Amino acid sequence: MWYLLAGLLAGVLVGLNLPWKVPAVLARYMAVGILAGVDTSLGGLRASLEGEFDIVIFATGFFGNMLLSAGFVYVGDMLGIELYLAAVVALGVRMFNNMGRIRRLLLREAQKGAK
Amino acid sequence: MEVRHALRRGTHVALTIIFALFGLMLAMQFRSRPEVTGPLLQYQRTEELAALLKRTEEERDKLREEVATLREQLSDIRSVEDQVRVLQEELAKAMVLAGLTEVRGPGISLTVSDSTAPGQVGQDPNLFVVHDKDLLEIVNEVFAAGAEAVSINGQRIVATTEITCAGNTIMINGVRQAPPFKILAIGDPATLEGGLKMRGGLIDNLTFWKLEVKLTTEEEVVIPAYSGPLTFKYAKPVKKEAK
Repeated sequence: MWYLLAGLLAGVLVGLNLPWKVPAVLARYMAVGILAGVDTSLGGLRASLEGEFDIVIFATGFFGNMLLSAGFVYVGDMLGIELYLAAVVALGVRMFNNMGRIRRLLLREAQKGAK
Repeated sequence: MEVRHALRRGTHVALTIIFALFGLMLAMQFRSRPEVTGPLLQYQRTEELAALLKRTEEERDKLREEVATLREQLSDIRSVEDQVRVLQEELAKAMVLAGLTEVRGPGISLTVSDSTAPGQVGQDPNLFVVHDKDLLEIVNEVFAAGAEAVSINGQRIVATTEITCAGNTIMINGVRQAPPFKILAIGDPATLEGGLKMRGGLIDNLTFWKLEVKLTTEEEVVIPAYSGPLTFKYAKPVKKEAK
């Protein structure tokens, strides 16, 4: 797992030191995209605990969900409704679901180890 | 652990790249966040703008003082030169026309103020205050009735005078004015009074909205000179060519 954290850390360090900032207009897209990224990461963790992890599915999910939620923001802006809330809610629910599954898997693992 | 089982060699690289990207996004979003959801962004901007306005107004006042002293110097120099007396007379006439001299003469005094009647529930309070349009109409009316010089709260109405709404005040010659507005006009008092008091005319209209209006004819009113800037930045006189 260490290389994931190393990658994350490297990204954060680069991001903090980049000279330019996200323009305010794009900040909302970025925020929803990040939410999608968190959601996909949790999904990936769950899949790997279940032994079903596939990098292709993970990668397409990561970028696909990000683009989809950014698309929601864009369409919402065009229509004048806050459609991105739909993406936020859907992703939030999924995150909780994934967290629940992960928790259960880890607990089961721990019980197995204790036996 | 099962996690490790699931990961083949190539996926390590891909995952690291994806997470690096993710970290990058997180960091950048975090840095840009205060711009978007900073505390009371709108109020901050208003305060900044108010400060800017205040500074600019102070600057303007200083410049206005400078204009006054320079104008004094100029008039000193003018009075010294005797040969240009004829020109001076021309100039004096032009200055009277342009509103650059204090003038006196018979006329009227009209005071207009916001309504003091208690507002009824559901009534638009905007209807009971003096607006820039009201003053514009009054000025227009007195000029139509033959006024030769007009001032509002000491601001001489000249060719470049604006009367415009500035929040809850009215801007005249770049100076903010608040009610009551005292309008002085020099001209035939009877004509001026008649023009304003005409049935269905301005004063009728203003009193309908319970605005406080006081109109008196005066044997002598004194109207101050225009004190604002006089330089033209864009307009240039067209020289008439000899025929």
